[in-house]
Amino acid sequence: MSHANLAVATLLAPLIAFAVALIGFRKKHDIAAAIAILGGFVSLVGSIWLLLDPAPTAELVTAPWFQVGGFKLEFGALLDGRTLLMGAVVGLITFCILIYSLGYMKDDPGKGRFFAFLGLFEWSMLSFAYAPNLLQGFIFWELVGLASFLLIGFWYHKPSAVAAAKKAFIMTRIGDVGMFVGLILLFGDVHTLDILEIGSIFGAPGLPEGLSAGRVELLAGLLFLGVMGKSAQFPLHTWLPDAMEGPTPVSALLHSATMVAAGVFLFARFHELFMDAHGLMTLVLAIAVFTAILSSTMAMVANDMKKILAFSSISQLGFMIMGLAAGSLFAGLFHLMTHALFKALLFMTAGAYIHHYGTNDIVAIGRAGGRKMRVTTLGLFAGGFALAGVPIFAGFWSKEVILGALHHDGYMVFLVGAYIAAFMTAYYTFRMIFLVVLPNANSDAIVEEPAGAQHGDHGHAHHGPDKAPLPMRLPIGLLSIGAVIAGLPFFGDAVAGLLGRPEEAHHAEISEMILPVAIVLAGVALAWLDFGAKRAPQRGLVAWFPPLERTLKNRWYIDAFYRRTVIRLTNAFAGLMYGAETRGFDGAGDAIAHGTMKVGVGTAKSHTGRLPIFIGTAVAILAIVSLSVALF
Amino acid sequence: MGNPDLLTYILLAPIAAFLATLVIPGKNETAIKAANAVFAGVALVLSIIVFTQYDMAKGGYQLVTDIPWIDSIGIRYTVAVDGVGVVLVLLNAIVFFTGVLTMWTLKLRVKEYFAFMALLVFGVFGVFISLDVFVFFFFYEVAVLPMYPLIAIWGSTKKEYSAMKLTLYLMVGSALLFPGLIALFVGGGSSSWNIEFLAVALKNQPELQVFVYPFIYVGFGILAGMWPFHGWSPTGHVAAPTAVSMLHAGVLMKLGAFGILRIAIGILPHGAEVWAPLFAVTATVGIVYGAFVAMRQNDFKYVIGFSSVSHMGIVLLGLNTLSPDGTAGAVFQMFAHGIMTALFFSAVGFIYDQTHDRDIRNFGGLSKQVPIAAGFFIVAALCGMGVPGFASFWAEFLVFLQALATWPVLGVAAIVGLVFTALYALRVLGKAMFGPANPQWDHLKDATPWAMVPRVILIGVLILFGFFPSWILDLIHTTVGSN
Repeated sequence: MSHANLAVATLLAPLIAFAVALIGFRKKHDIAAAIAILGGFVSLVGSIWLLLDPAPTAELVTAPWFQVGGFKLEFGALLDGRTLLMGAVVGLITFCILIYSLGYMKDDPGKGRFFAFLGLFEWSMLSFAYAPNLLQGFIFWELVGLASFLLIGFWYHKPSAVAAAKKAFIMTRIGDVGMFVGLILLFGDVHTLDILEIGSIFGAPGLPEGLSAGRVELLAGLLFLGVMGKSAQFPLHTWLPDAMEGPTPVSALLHSATMVAAGVFLFARFHELFMDAHGLMTLVLAIAVFTAILSSTMAMVANDMKKILAFSSISQLGFMIMGLAAGSLFAGLFHLMTHALFKALLFMTAGAYIHHYGTNDIVAIGRAGGRKMRVTTLGLFAGGFALAGVPIFAGFWSKEVILGALHHDGYMVFLVGAYIAAFMTAYYTFRMIFLVVLPNANSDAIVEEPAGAQHGDHGHAHHGPDKAPLPMRLPIGLLSIGAVIAGLPFFGDAVAGLLGRPEEAHHAEISEMILPVAIVLAGVALAWLDFGAKRAPQRGLVAWFPPLERTLKNRWYIDAFYRRTVIRLTNAFAGLMYGAETRGFDGAGDAIAHGTMKVGVGTAKSHTGRLPIFIGTAVAILAIVSLSVALF
Repeated sequence: MGNPDLLTYILLAPIAAFLATLVIPGKNETAIKAANAVFAGVALVLSIIVFTQYDMAKGGYQLVTDIPWIDSIGIRYTVAVDGVGVVLVLLNAIVFFTGVLTMWTLKLRVKEYFAFMALLVFGVFGVFISLDVFVFFFFYEVAVLPMYPLIAIWGSTKKEYSAMKLTLYLMVGSALLFPGLIALFVGGGSSSWNIEFLAVALKNQPELQVFVYPFIYVGFGILAGMWPFHGWSPTGHVAAPTAVSMLHAGVLMKLGAFGILRIAIGILPHGAEVWAPLFAVTATVGIVYGAFVAMRQNDFKYVIGFSSVSHMGIVLLGLNTLSPDGTAGAVFQMFAHGIMTALFFSAVGFIYDQTHDRDIRNFGGLSKQVPIAAGFFIVAALCGMGVPGFASFWAEFLVFLQALATWPVLGVAAIVGLVFTALYALRVLGKAMFGPANPQWDHLKDATPWAMVPRVILIGVLILFGFFPSWILDLIHTTVGSN
């Protein structure tokens, strides 16, 4: 098959699946699911095929779409290293989630709609990933946001889900506004939105002609706002933990592995442009390191398994951005790839526990016998080890590359920050693992949501054998393999070669690995003392300082701060405008009307029909007029 | 291209509907509705023919018919369409047709209702095709006046007050317009009202242009929902019956914007340049202001009403960039917003007809109770938020693109307004369409296939031009030029 045909099939199959499933088979659940899975399968095969058979140079598969004003817009696919990698990640993870959802959403009354929306998501995400120009990129970036909105709010009868969907849409849109302005300014400056052209314009040494350093910083800053929104970087990160209100397959697919990675991918796509903005990159590094540490602290006290994973997603996204901002395209994208595999895996295991025990609480899952679900628990180990950065597992290698990229003069403080975040990652990951597999009914651990608490909602505690349904175990098994091997240097070299940056595949000496490994092991050891060992209190370090624990549980009060400031101000301003409308502009109109009426009524009173008054008035007016004429 | 009488036929279709409505006995309601549907359908088909037949290579005014009317003072029945006119004629035909179908369930004084509605549509068609300023104004008044009885008789929620308010506001607009238009005529040598003629005749009279421009801009602007003279529009929307709201927000407000484009900017380009900074500011204030006020409203129709103020602000901002791209975006936004609001009101009307309640606080989870009807509303809301895939995305995109180049600060403010638009739209969706269902409305019936027809047409149009915007933009560009 020619690449053009493959690309077209890959891009359009999910769209067709979405339209057919939503319009024709919304109520016929199994048919809708079959259609969506078929669409996902076509995209899987297409994207993997394209990945394994890359052309020596970038290929363009486009059809003219239309011309708007000065824009000549082409719709299609750009096939180069970056898009092939991203497309294959999206194709693979989406397909795994589609299969997984067969088990997870089996009896959901909205199953047909769910599978249709997954099709919408996959179409948007692939069209974004393969976009040959920024306008197509932006269109599908927005549609990805829409799909995310629909899927977070999928259980729309829950007010919390509706609020979370709204929050996600608004917060990412705040970033999108910046990106939109950036896109328009960029077009004004370089007169093209073609991604390859922009890449070569900014890729050349020095600044592009006619652009000052400040201008480039501005453009990069505006685009980075979009990255911050989508990839949940401080201060726009607060929507992501709330997004866990969506069904778990959605969390696995969108809010950890792929959609939130869109921001990172945008960064990678315009890496040449960002690299010209030196000042901004230091700021970006600071934001990314801060975000990684901040969200790791919150993960240390959470009991909700999905929330822990959500916090860890924020922090891992921070790691990817660190790698990119430090100048290594490969570091960011390689971690994006391994993270997609192991984070999707971890969410799937979380979903399997939740589905089975009817609670999100890791203490409750552990005490209810979580480790008896063998495949799921193996998946938890594989994914958890990868996330923590235990040697040999996927996350270890990709994080290693990022740390290597930070080994620069002047980046010392960021490197230390990254080590702190890596330490905390190991700690909270193993806290989760130990609480699930080494429960101790006599420890001080507090159950916040007992098993079966979600009965009647989604996670109806299932009875029967302690194992997840087959459609859920299959993808868990498959991704477990990925989480173990995907980081191996063999794959790393292949990805670096694909990206055209073989020199960035950093092969660390054993001596260089000692420090990172020691840090990870220290985190694991501390987690063992706190949660794993026989008489461990299972309350953790943070619980020694109750105010700190409270602060972390309340996510540093950032949400509360937003509620008190931004949201309150917005509402107050809306109230002010409302008052201006009702009492001001509209009121003024009414007042003029009433005034006119009153004048009318008043003058009407003088019309009494009495002759002397008429004559008197007439004479008086005549006298005044003649007098004034005579005088002037 | 085709027969030049085509436009006159389009103009006569609503008159035929009007006459048929008068002739058919009032008891025979279905016949009246059917006759209106047929003539609206004829108008729609003819509009589509004009839309597809317009010769883009040639451009300019086509299908010209020029007949003297009151020759002694130079008034002539001159009708023709250019790229902009074609698009707006199509818009009016779509809204007319879907409006008739939406009102199929009407029971109260059916005969009078459809008669007034046909008259209104007649006026609107007339405005969009007139090349003679006087005839333009004549049709303009014909379109505006039926609003009073339509709201006062068939409306709801303070209907007399709203009808009176609307009429007074528009009268103020006309009072500003009329002297302005006469000034154009006199300034052009008192021999012709022809728009093209006046544009040439007034070219070298900058003082006159600057003096007359604000009269005409504000005069038309009032009908376009221009801030701060927008007060009539939300109240009017709320009080009007469904199809009238559809026509009113969907088409009537566009008359104002069209007047600004065709007459104010078209004849007085120098005046436009001088006044554009001020009017661009009022337009931007309208965008943000409308969104904020909409955030505080609890009546479905008030939310939509203020969203119209906000969206029409985008149209006016686009026009005030005085550039091809901005103008093209503005015209496209007129079209997209017309279809979108028609869909909005049509969806709300469907729910109101059954519940006689429009307070969003009294609803919840309509997606569960009436999934299809709620779906229509959700699609309209997404379109209003400027989500790609719908026509309005491109319209807003072009306006913002140009606004950012012409008035950077205003452009950024308008784009930031997108966030607030999403806020009020998602607030309504969250409260009424999602969330826990209110058992009071469990009995509601969902849209029947018949009731879906007009709404599906509107959605289809939005999506069609969302994916193929060039079908409209190429037409518009033949008139407004390109950058």
